[in-house]
Amino acid sequence: MATDLRISNISKIYPGCIANDNVSLQFKSGKIYALLGENGAGKSTLVKILSGIISPDNGEVFLNEKNLKLSSPLDAKKNKIGMVFQHFNLFETLSVFENLSIDATEDNKSLRVRINEILKKYNFSIDLDVPVLNLSAGQKQKVEIIRCLLRSPKVLIMDEPTSVLTEQETEELFISLKKFCDEGILIIYITHKLKEVLSLCDEVAVMRKGKVVSVSQTQNEKVETLASKMVGQKLAKIKKKINTSKNKDEIFKVKHLNFYSDDPFETNLVNLNFSLKKGECLGIAGISGNGQNELFQILSGEIITPDASIIFRNKEIAKLNPKQRREYLMAFSPEDRISQAAVPELKIYENVALNNFKSSNFFEKGLVNERKIKEHSKKILSDFSVNTDNVELKSQFLSGGNLQKLILGRELITAPELLICYNPTWGLDVGAINYIHETLIKINDEEKSTILISTDTEELLKLSDRIAVIYKGKLSKIMPSVEVTPEKLGILMGGGSID
Amino acid sequence: MSLDISFIGVLIGSIMASSVPLILAASGELITERSGVLNLGVEGMMIIGAISGFALMVITDNLFIAIIGSMLSGVIISLIFGFLTQSLLTNHVATGLALTIFGIGLSAMLGKNFVGIPGKDFPILFSSLRESIPFFGPILFGHSIVLYFAFALPFLTNYFLKKTKLGLVVRAVGDSPVSASNQGINVILVRYCCILYGGGMCGLAGAYLSLIYTPQWIENMTAGRGWIALALVVFATWSPIKVLIGAIIFGGISILQLHMQAVGFRIPVQFLIALPYLMTIIVLVVISRDSRKIKLNTPTSLGRIFYKEK
Repeated sequence: MATDLRISNISKIYPGCIANDNVSLQFKSGKIYALLGENGAGKSTLVKILSGIISPDNGEVFLNEKNLKLSSPLDAKKNKIGMVFQHFNLFETLSVFENLSIDATEDNKSLRVRINEILKKYNFSIDLDVPVLNLSAGQKQKVEIIRCLLRSPKVLIMDEPTSVLTEQETEELFISLKKFCDEGILIIYITHKLKEVLSLCDEVAVMRKGKVVSVSQTQNEKVETLASKMVGQKLAKIKKKINTSKNKDEIFKVKHLNFYSDDPFETNLVNLNFSLKKGECLGIAGISGNGQNELFQILSGEIITPDASIIFRNKEIAKLNPKQRREYLMAFSPEDRISQAAVPELKIYENVALNNFKSSNFFEKGLVNERKIKEHSKKILSDFSVNTDNVELKSQFLSGGNLQKLILGRELITAPELLICYNPTWGLDVGAINYIHETLIKINDEEKSTILISTDTEELLKLSDRIAVIYKGKLSKIMPSVEVTPEKLGILMGGGSID
Repeated sequence: MSLDISFIGVLIGSIMASSVPLILAASGELITERSGVLNLGVEGMMIIGAISGFALMVITDNLFIAIIGSMLSGVIISLIFGFLTQSLLTNHVATGLALTIFGIGLSAMLGKNFVGIPGKDFPILFSSLRESIPFFGPILFGHSIVLYFAFALPFLTNYFLKKTKLGLVVRAVGDSPVSASNQGINVILVRYCCILYGGGMCGLAGAYLSLIYTPQWIENMTAGRGWIALALVVFATWSPIKVLIGAIIFGGISILQLHMQAVGFRIPVQFLIALPYLMTIIVLVVISRDSRKIKLNTPTSLGRIFYKEK
């Protein structure tokens, strides 16, 4: 039976922000719809309304011309609207089966049979009896999808599903989504990735600042046209001049880096060796959870590995802590902006002061020199085009992109010789990604080096001079990025071997 | 020192009796904490249970009403905690501490007129078997019904958490209230229920002290047992069976050190008094050192305030 979902004049206003402004859209089964927009454009608010988590101030939702009262997630479930969340809504310490059985109405035995049928039908392989925290991001997502499928949904909403997936997992997901679509499930796909819209979806609605600004057939669109609709202006295309010259000074060298952890949720690192030249960007690719966290922490000095040798500017720094490493002009931008890079409850200028304890004039006789820190922070805000000039603002109120700019600014203002960043554009929108990529390229142009640990292959290919892949704590051969293709990276990231 | 076999039997029986309040209170608190709520008011709820149980016994002369009443009083006082933390979103730690202070004060006030009144004999089960079977008799028989219930409780709790749907819901809420809410589970309701259950068990634990273990009312008679129960839950890494083991060790060494003092061992008394605390911590740390299991048993959202999006 065909499904027809209509959203009519939905508005949702939060104090100081109109999240949804009179949004009206129509969806019909048999097609995959994209809902495209930057972070903060109102996509997530809209899907939260559709799944009954929040209720709109105004407007109605119709499913097959029936007016739906969506006042709780149960209502959405009853009306066969399924949702796969961006930040998974799973219970990490419970087993896969427990996660799936929690809202099931049937007994465990028949539920298991049904789950196994779904696993077989869509070629998913997941152990039902391991705790969810042992699964990869892709597998977790499949658990979420299975949870929806168990309720034979009419509508399936996917909220930025590929932000944590690898190329291969993304391809698998797309194959599954197309299958669901053929089976008559209406699919709404929320994303800010333009290429995905073009390769997967039939129709695309673009949202900006809470409003729907365009609805069109994807076949009539190109990356550029969608991008400018989404951002509201034309984006400059950025391209890096790949650095191939071999006769530059070596600035950073890691030898025999081993790391062993008792914690089963950490990855052991096995004999990593690499080096970096001046002005070079070394990309480290890999599916998340293959040792990137541990590697970043070791390079930044959060974990000290006394047996390894890390040489930076001809000095042995393996035994130094992060503060001492910063004094030798290293800088770090961790993956988790909120909990690792910045303290969200502190004001902007306080966050700026955090990693500059030694810096000349921030502190006098043990007291904080607020005026100087604020001046310094203002400079960062304007130099790195953070869209506020209020240094008293608590950092938690900055959007992801602006927070990342602030963090990069804080790290770069000391003119470091080496910047190590881990997923610097994770979850950011095109505008912010562009800005950060430009910044990273500029660093290399100024003969400073960068190590870019990232799960985004496109980003790696765009920015790196050489690329290696980390898989289960082991590093592949380091390749010049001109010889690398996304396919090659994908194979290595999945544990395969090339040549 | 006469260490004949029947003496050891009696000794074990008394160890079991002394661990009952810990088992009851800790099992109740365990369920509360598994749902993600940290209630530090255990001591306060126990002492309220102790005084209301004793007072009801004196007033009605009915032990059944006294026991039920003590549990109800625990439920009522935990309802205050539930309302503050779940409906008004106050901080769990501060509210729990306030509850303990409140409970101790209130019980002292209510208990003024009950000091010095003798308690009543609590009926014990299978008293004939206790005398007729050597060694096992005093261990297995001749206890109050509350003791048998207490020793079954950790196993029931374990079964509830691992095998039943409701137990699964409680664990899910403690793991991630946001996910649970998005799945349509009423997080606040589940947490209220767990808080009230914990309160009821703490009330019963208090009544065990004032009606059965030392049948009389003494001001501040819980004497820190509530805090021990709280610590047991954490050191037992939220596993009901380990709570039982911990409670028995603590009760056991408390009793043994009394005997050691009486016999006159040449060990400083202070050390003997500290021994139960020390040994319980050591044993529980040793048996719960599997970091993987700790991660799976720990309620991830423990003590965090949950806001529902609107």
